[in-house]
Amino acid sequence: MTSRILVVDDDTALAEMIGIVLRTEGFDVLFCADGAQAVDEWRSSRPDLVLLDLMLPGMDGIEICTRIRAESGVPIIMLTARTDTADVVRGLEVGADDYIVKPFNPKELVARIRTRLRPAPQATAEVLRVGDLTVDVDAHEVRRGSTPIALTPLEFQLLVALASKPQQVFSREMLLEQVWGYHYKADTRLVNVHVQRLRAKVELDPDNPRIVMTVRGVGYRAGSVS
Amino acid sequence: MIATTATRVQAVDWRSPRSWPGAVIAEWRHSMRFRATVITLVATALTILVTCVIMGLVIRNDLFEARKDEALHNSRAAVAQAQRVLESGVAGDDRAALSSLWRQAQNELGRAASSKLIVGVVSEPLGDGYIPPGFNSQQFSPAQLSGELLTRVKDVPARQAWQSIALSHSDAPDSAGIVVGQILEIRGVARYEVYIAYDLADTDETLQFVQRTLWLAGLALVTLIAGILWLVLRSVSVPIIEAAETSARLASGDLGVRLRVHGADELASLGHSFNAMADSIEAQIKELAELSLVQQRFVSDVSHELRTPLTTIRLAAEMINDQKDQFDPTTARTAELLHTQVQRFETLLSDLLEISRYDAGSVQLEVEATSLAQLAEELVEQMRPLAETHGIELRMVAPGGYSPVDMDPRRVRRVLRNLIGNAIEHGEGQPVVVTVDSNQHAVAVGVRDFGMGMRPEDAEHVFDRFWRADPSRKRTIGGTGLGLSIALGDARLHGGTLQVWSELGVGSNFVLTIPRAGGEATGQGPIPLEPPETLADLGSVTQPIVVRRSDPEGGDRS
Repeated sequence: MTSRILVVDDDTALAEMIGIVLRTEGFDVLFCADGAQAVDEWRSSRPDLVLLDLMLPGMDGIEICTRIRAESGVPIIMLTARTDTADVVRGLEVGADDYIVKPFNPKELVARIRTRLRPAPQATAEVLRVGDLTVDVDAHEVRRGSTPIALTPLEFQLLVALASKPQQVFSREMLLEQVWGYHYKADTRLVNVHVQRLRAKVELDPDNPRIVMTVRGVGYRAGSVS
Repeated sequence: MIATTATRVQAVDWRSPRSWPGAVIAEWRHSMRFRATVITLVATALTILVTCVIMGLVIRNDLFEARKDEALHNSRAAVAQAQRVLESGVAGDDRAALSSLWRQAQNELGRAASSKLIVGVVSEPLGDGYIPPGFNSQQFSPAQLSGELLTRVKDVPARQAWQSIALSHSDAPDSAGIVVGQILEIRGVARYEVYIAYDLADTDETLQFVQRTLWLAGLALVTLIAGILWLVLRSVSVPIIEAAETSARLASGDLGVRLRVHGADELASLGHSFNAMADSIEAQIKELAELSLVQQRFVSDVSHELRTPLTTIRLAAEMINDQKDQFDPTTARTAELLHTQVQRFETLLSDLLEISRYDAGSVQLEVEATSLAQLAEELVEQMRPLAETHGIELRMVAPGGYSPVDMDPRRVRRVLRNLIGNAIEHGEGQPVVVTVDSNQHAVAVGVRDFGMGMRPEDAEHVFDRFWRADPSRKRTIGGTGLGLSIALGDARLHGGTLQVWSELGVGSNFVLTIPRAGGEATGQGPIPLEPPETLADLGSVTQPIVVRRSDPEGGDRS
C-alpha cells in the first residue's frame, strides 16, 4: 500500500524536490504551498503523514499543526530552518511528532518518514497494564476503566514501549531509538515534550504522575499496576 | 572592574599593631590627602617648635633682665637710704650710739630692700676705734658669695656688682637668685660690703607658666592646622576620588555613570570634561553595538535564507549522486564533486550560523548530568573507523571523570569530535590519546597527538576564525575553519576553558575543562595542559586502556 504524504511548503522548488525524492521511494505525494489552505487540503486528502514547513505565508506551521492535532493523531514532521530551542519546542508542544532541520539529506528524510509510518512491531502481550490503565496493543487502544483515552500513534508507541518492560528504566536515548528510530544521538527534547503531552492525556494529575514516572538523572519508567 | 580598588586603600586590621607600619606606608602611597596632611603637619610642627623655643628664650631673658634691673634699683635705693640714716646720725666714739645708729641703718636697709636676704661684712676699717660687727640673715651667709663678686665690690666701691646665685632653702629645693653687692660706709668708722639677694623663684614660675602656655598654644595650633588642612583637602580630594571611581565604573562598562558637577571652579570643569567624554564614549559604543547587532542579524538572516535553497540543492545533488553509475565518467565525477561540495557548503553554513548565534549571545545550554568519561568513550568508538583510515590508533585513558557532571552533552560531544578529528588529521600516523580525569572542581578531557605540532605563536591563533596553521597543507577531513572557534565558544558557555599546548615536531594537546555545577574553572585543572608523556613514554603503554563502564556488560571490552 502506498502511503500518501502531504508536503506543506511555500518554496515550490524544495517541495518539488522533496516530491521527487519521495516518489522515487514509492510514496504518493500531495502539495500545498499556502498555509491558509493547508488544513482544508489535509481534511480533503486525509494523508498518512504531513511534512510541515514552520515558516509559511497565510498561516504559520505552529497554527496548522495545532489545528490538525485537534482533529487527528496523524504523524506530523516539521521542516525547520531553525534549530532555535523556542521554535522547535513550540512545534513539538503543539503536537508535531518529529522535526528535520534544513538542510537535510534524502536518506534522513525517508528514514524519518518511514519510522513514523510504520511503528516498530511490538513483540509483547496483546494487553498491557500500567497504573490504572489497560493498553490493548493490537486494537491500538488505551482505557481507564471503560473510558477510552485518545492518543496519537506516537504517544501510544511511547506508552507501549514503557509499559512492555515495566521493570526497566528507559533513558531518553533508549526511547529516542525505540520510538523515534534515531540510532545516533538526537534531541532529547523530543522525549521530554512528548512525555509531557502523554502525561497530560493519561495522568489524573500530571503534576504528580502515576503512569509515566520520572527517574531523576536517568529517564522514565512505567508506573506500577494498581 | 578591579580598578576601583586602586583608589581605595586595602582594609587594614587596625587592632593588630604589627600591620600598622605597612598600613601607614600603604596609606601614604594611596591617599593624596594623607600624604599632604602629613607633610604639612610635619613642616608646621617644626616651624612652631622653633618659634616656641626662640620665644621661650627671649621671654626668659626679658624676665631676667627686668628682675635684675629691679634688684639693682631696689638695692641701690635701700643702700642709699641706709647711707642717709648713717649720715644723719651723730658719729662719735660713743659705742652705744654707734651701735644704735648701725642697727637703725640695718633696719632701714631691710625695710627698703624688699628682701630679707641681706649680708653685711666689714670690708675696711677707717678709724681705729670701735667697729660695729657685720650682720647676716638666717638663710643667707657670706659663705655663699663667690670671691669674684667680693673682689669686684671691693675694687670698684662706687658701682653695684651683681651675680646669679643658687639660693638654698630648708623646706624647698634650691632656687635661682640674684645677689647685688654695694659699699655702705660709716664715715670715719668702717666700710661695709652689703649684699642683698633676691629670690627669682616667682620669676621662674612665671617663666614656666609662659612656656607651658606657649607649648600648649603651639600644640593647639598644629592640631588646628591639621584639622583645617584635612577639611580643605577633603573638599578637593573627595571630588577627585569620586572622579576616579566614576571613571573606573565607566571603564568596567557602566556607560551611564556621570560625575555630579557643582559650581564653576576647576573641579566643575573637570566634571564637565569627564561627562562630555563619557557621553561621547557612550554614543560611540552604542553605535558600534548597534552596527554589530545589525551585522549579526544579517549573518543570521542570510544563513537562514540560504538554508531552503541549499536543502533543495542538497536533495538534488544526492539524487544525482545516487545515480552516478549510469553516467559517463566525467559526469559521474562531476556529480560526486557537486555532492561533496554541497555537503561542505552545508557544514560551513551551519558553523557560520552557530558562530553568529554566539556573537548574538543567543546560545543556551541544555544542561544534563553526563558522565564525561562515558561520553568520550562512546565518541572514541564512533571515530575509530575514521582514525583507522588514517592509520591512527585511538587510545582512551580515563583515571576519573565517571560521575555525572552538569553539561550540555551535545555541545561537549561536538567539541570533542572536533578535537579528535583535528588530532587524527594532524596526527601523522602516531597514536592519539584521549584522557579524561576529574578533581573536586572540574572534569576535563585532553586530546593529545604526536604529530608535527605547531609553533607556539601559531598555537595562539588556532581558535581564530578561518585560521590555518599552514595554508598550503592538504585538508583531508575538510573542516570549515570555524570548528575550534565554536569549540571555544562551547567551552566558555560552560564556564570552562579550552586550552592548547603545542610544540613543533612534538605534537599538540588540547584540554577542555568543565567546572562542576556552580563552580568556576580555577587553579590547576584535572589535566595539565603541558603533557608529561612523550612518545617514548607512550611506547611502554602497549595496550590501549579502555574505560571501565558503569554497567557490567561493557566491562570486558578491549
